[in-house]
Amino acid sequence: MSTREVFTDRLQAGVLLLPTMVVSLVFLYYPTVRAVGLSLYRASLARGDVFVGLENYRRLASSSEYLRSVLISVLFAACVVVGVMAVALCVSFLIHEIDVGKGVYLVAVIWPYALPPAVAGLVFLFIAHPNIGIFTSYIEAFGVDVNWFSNGPQAFVVVLIAAVWKQVGYNVIFMTAALGNVPESLTETAELDGVSRTRRLLRVYVPIISPTLVFLVIMNTIYGFFGTFAMVDLMTKGGPAGATNILIYDLYRTAFQFYEFGFASAKSVVLFVAVGLLMYGQFRLSDRYAYYGG
Amino acid sequence: MLGSLLTALTAAAERSRSAGRTTSERIRRFETEQLTLHVLAATIVFLIILPVLIAALVSTKRAGIVTSIGDLAPGGHALSNYRRALIGLEFWRFMLNSFLMSVAVVVGKLVVSLLAALVIVYYRFPYKNAVFLFILFTLLLPVPVRFVPLYRLTTELGMSNTFFAITVPYLASATTVFILRQHFLSIPASLVETAKVDGVGPLRFLWSVLVPMSRAVLVGVSVIMFVYTWNQYLWPLVIINAESLQVAQVGLSLLRGQASTGEVAWSMVMTGSMLTLLPPLALLVLFRRQLLETFTIQQK
Amino acid sequence: MTDVTLQDVRKEFDGVVAVKNIDLQIPDGAFVTVVGPSGCGKSTTLRLIAGLEQATDGTIQMGNQDVTGVEPKDRDVAMVFQNYALYPHMTARRNITFGMKSAGDFSDEEIDRQVAEAAAVLDIENLLDRTPGELSGGERQRVALGRALVRDPEVFLMDEPLSNLDAKLRIKMRAELAKLHSEFGTTTIYVTHDQTEAMTLGDRVVVMNDGRIQQVDSPQRLYDYPETRFVAEFIGDPAMNMLSVDIIHDGSEYEAVGPTFRVPLPEGDGLETAAGGQALLGIRPESLSLADSADRSSFTAEITVTEPLGDSLLLECRTGDQAFKLHAEPRTAVEPGDQVALTLDAERLHLFDPQTGEAIYHAAAAQSLEQAGTIDCTI
Repeated sequence: MSTREVFTDRLQAGVLLLPTMVVSLVFLYYPTVRAVGLSLYRASLARGDVFVGLENYRRLASSSEYLRSVLISVLFAACVVVGVMAVALCVSFLIHEIDVGKGVYLVAVIWPYALPPAVAGLVFLFIAHPNIGIFTSYIEAFGVDVNWFSNGPQAFVVVLIAAVWKQVGYNVIFMTAALGNVPESLTETAELDGVSRTRRLLRVYVPIISPTLVFLVIMNTIYGFFGTFAMVDLMTKGGPAGATNILIYDLYRTAFQFYEFGFASAKSVVLFVAVGLLMYGQFRLSDRYAYYGG
Repeated sequence: MLGSLLTALTAAAERSRSAGRTTSERIRRFETEQLTLHVLAATIVFLIILPVLIAALVSTKRAGIVTSIGDLAPGGHALSNYRRALIGLEFWRFMLNSFLMSVAVVVGKLVVSLLAALVIVYYRFPYKNAVFLFILFTLLLPVPVRFVPLYRLTTELGMSNTFFAITVPYLASATTVFILRQHFLSIPASLVETAKVDGVGPLRFLWSVLVPMSRAVLVGVSVIMFVYTWNQYLWPLVIINAESLQVAQVGLSLLRGQASTGEVAWSMVMTGSMLTLLPPLALLVLFRRQLLETFTIQQK
Repeated sequence: MTDVTLQDVRKEFDGVVAVKNIDLQIPDGAFVTVVGPSGCGKSTTLRLIAGLEQATDGTIQMGNQDVTGVEPKDRDVAMVFQNYALYPHMTARRNITFGMKSAGDFSDEEIDRQVAEAAAVLDIENLLDRTPGELSGGERQRVALGRALVRDPEVFLMDEPLSNLDAKLRIKMRAELAKLHSEFGTTTIYVTHDQTEAMTLGDRVVVMNDGRIQQVDSPQRLYDYPETRFVAEFIGDPAMNMLSVDIIHDGSEYEAVGPTFRVPLPEGDGLETAAGGQALLGIRPESLSLADSADRSSFTAEITVTEPLGDSLLLECRTGDQAFKLHAEPRTAVEPGDQVALTLDAERLHLFDPQTGEAIYHAAAAQSLEQAGTIDCTI
């Protein structure tokens, strides 16, 4: 690999790297650092930041509303991860087992990757609208009163479904690719031994594609925490009564509805640390459980 | 697949012979199995497409109130709806802004990341690994984490509500640099060595050799970046106030607001949604091969 | 055209020393092959000359210039790689001209003319508009050569260029390379792991092992007078046999005594010091033969394996606990298990120090260097 490094002009290297480094520094690192700094102040639109030390963090720890938001977010992300991967696994496995027409199904399933989250949210809002949604009348036929504008748990479920729906495609892309890399001989052996399809999926394929699954768990977690912002904003605005007030949305409101920038920065820092730790934890767990290598 | 099917069939035939069942029964069972699989897959595919299908149908209606399947017949108002959305409600401006933003970001990111990947792979200098980690680490700093101070910074720079604000912050892309790096590493080292011996400079090497050899990856990466940028919601929402500069995603939010107050029919909201969905979807369909190729590199 | 001199050159990679202080002088216009097993440092040496690697120590000179820290493009060298390193998306013509445009200022007509010339010499005129993917291995090889040719460099550097070709093509290309050299006369340094290639192509052969130069000599001298055990066993196929012997000074004669044989040794340098000690007797398979009649220098051995090669019969034999090989007439009626009498060519014996591997003695008197030829690659 090192024989490729044929160019040695350091000035050139510096110049070529400059745009990436400058943008990274100014727009990525600096704001992050500043978030930490800002979190120690009480700041608002009106000038005059007041240094308050760790008060913002104390407020967070004692705010039941915020803690509720944390709970909701974690629950939401967990449901997203599990839901998306379960559905995607089934779909990918189906596509893998089908002999003809794989390509058609694949394209038909992965297109939601291109779907803007805002559009996903809006469409779901429309079809499940308590008053005018087309699904509503059919669901109500089952005796369920569809009123997720005021019913917290229902709202949670509806947004969850929208979120899972959108993300399945992305997962299927990677899972089908990974399944496709499983040696044919393993499938044949399992078939010869009379192993049922479900057992084959769970006991043979899942362990073999576990590196991909680990990657997807991490990506889905990030999506569950951050990628669903537009859906929440368009469908429930965090309500009713904070039932869908995931951390990122709560952050947004603190900053741009209540204009408490210092407080919001503290929330950003907590969010960053939480997600960072979560990903790190997932990564370490994967080292133990995932099966790498042929 | 055919080979495995034959193998499985033969094995199954042997087993069934000893089990006393006929081969033809076994084959029929296989066919039924495949049929079930197809039915299952088709159902799921239909379910996944259904919401958007409904949205598309509704976008052609006048009022857009559909409460039962019977209401789902395509309305005849497609043309007037889309025209109204684009011109009357000025959605064309949102689309244009989104388009300009996405194209600018894609082109900018490509250039910046190509240069960075070139240096990372083909230059030798001290602390290079630290630099690479520095770039990769930005993956842990997504927009939601920094958008509050970023808002402050942009406002202080006097750049809020500008085209600059919705393009420049996106120009550094760790994923793109990473993908390009992986791809460059798959190109034999002897190519750059022979260029070096012949006296070919780094930029010429990039333009005449690396770029032509990376076509599929570049297209894939461009599609990924375009979709990502086109779908951006949070940052444009926060930093752009003027409607004339706003992007399509946030424009949808405006439409929704108008629909809630009855100003605008729900069918229009669906029309706007379809318009916003079209460009990234078209790219996905057109370039799915390159996209899939790029994803497999990213995974490693 | 220029001469190349390496003085005390050393190359270290992360604590591993790939090239251990070598001295080498390559005269103007010579075709020198560098040969050795994998990891011996021959490719590294070539890359040091090219400027793709920087020497940790020592100097490299071309002509009268010290080029030790100089960039490759300023050394005016052209290199042909083992995998040809052709740009897959460019036509053969573009591949050839791509390097030219950077190396010098030629007008377009100049470039076309030079390409046409090179193409004619290499017989690839009608392949110029194809991409590498549309060419066979041998054709790609020639395009890579064409690219080096049009650079008109001071030195050609070749890193195992024929290794990826099949056997027949390799032989054909060897002949073409030799022809090219006689036509253009450019100083050429050619690295290979194949000792046959090294012997047939080089005016001088440099044998390397473990980062050091074992010997530099003309092919025949390398074969007849190996200076170390490594060279003796590396050059020549099948390898020279090595038998453990004691050197006895019996009255007026010296003998090499093994457990089952006694071999008289002709007069020569080194015998005096070797006498009374142990040594390795080196004798090539073709210097052994089946004896018609028993005489003083014959001994018996048991045949363990017979390999009919067509033009000869290769026999593997055992005597005592030592094994060795020899050639016999193709249709000799012998079988594994037979006891046969063997005789050897007393003119073609060598003795090597068992510890250092250095050659102690060669039976045939070593001819003086002036007689062997005018090219001298040692400093």
